[in-house]
Amino acid sequence: MASNLKWRVRSDRALHFHSWGDEFIVYNSLSGDTHLLGSVAAQILLRLQQAPSDFMSLAELLTSLLQTEMMGEQLEPQLVNILEDLNALALIERT
Amino acid sequence: MSESVGLLYADYPLAEQTDFADFHVSLTYPRNLRRWFKPQVLFLFDGYPPFKPLPLDQAFPMLEWGLNWCISNHVNHCLMIHAAVVEKGGYAVIMPAPPGSGKSTLCAALVNRGWRLLSDELALIRVSDGKLTPLPRPVSLKNESIDIIRRYEPSAIFSRKVADTIKGTVAHMKAPADSITRATEVVQGAWVIFPKYQAGAKACLEALPQSRAFMRVADNSFNYSLLGLNGFKTMANLIDASLCYDFTYSKLDDAIEIFGALKPQASSK
Repeated sequence: MASNLKWRVRSDRALHFHSWGDEFIVYNSLSGDTHLLGSVAAQILLRLQQAPSDFMSLAELLTSLLQTEMMGEQLEPQLVNILEDLNALALIERT
Repeated sequence: MSESVGLLYADYPLAEQTDFADFHVSLTYPRNLRRWFKPQVLFLFDGYPPFKPLPLDQAFPMLEWGLNWCISNHVNHCLMIHAAVVEKGGYAVIMPAPPGSGKSTLCAALVNRGWRLLSDELALIRVSDGKLTPLPRPVSLKNESIDIIRRYEPSAIFSRKVADTIKGTVAHMKAPADSITRATEVVQGAWVIFPKYQAGAKACLEALPQSRAFMRVADNSFNYSLLGLNGFKTMANLIDASLCYDFTYSKLDDAIEIFGALKPQASSK
């Protein structure tokens, strides 16, 4: 996945969040769909709702969320999976 | 038909002919030849038949099913959930569940042991303030549940059994008079409990994460998607105010005891 690509939410006004514990319910008013997300995926989505971000800055966020020493290449597959999942749910897109 | 209406609706106030009515429903004979050798009944909603006719013997169940259809298709100032609702002490239990889970049986038992009936079928949560609107109507029971509740509460009043319906054998239990009298008293939801009858199982109330409960209640809603963002907010407020559980049971007395010990969360008002 090209690291210079940026990701953004499809519509920053369309997403509505409600959390209980470590889980988030996200309502997308564009599609009418409701999603149950884990904390990490939801935090990445919240970051993208604030502003488009590139892969590296999202990897840094993921590192802090997971409180892990793993960096860069080691986290890449996990981040790719999360972004692909959010993309498949039509919540985010590449800029 | 008139016998069942007289038996189960005797405690309801009669509207004046000139009063506003949300729906006008009637039962009639379809205009076909079967009228003469296998009579049928047709449900009309504002003069229009939303369903195919059923055998005449099923007239009363058809009226009840038709009334449920009228509400579930037209009452969109409320978030509507396929659920039984009972109340005690100002707090309501919402019991969403698919058919066959024992929801109506448990509801019938609870209302015969001091809980107020709001509905055995439709939870109506006002979008404006999140309060539950009562809809106390006869409790629909089917197959073995009919005799279980007859034995559980011999004084309960039932319509006659109607066999061979799409749901099997059905009968309706009269709503308690007090629940009908209090039909305009809205109430706050305090618990969302997913009941499941399981033969031989020990009664077990198991905490359910609220996020999971949200998704399952939404799955049991008639109009969550239709209400859009209002549906999401109303549902989120309901779940915020509720303790959520899965409940497995086999004996009604055990269920009554566990429900009697429920305490609302401290922040509930």
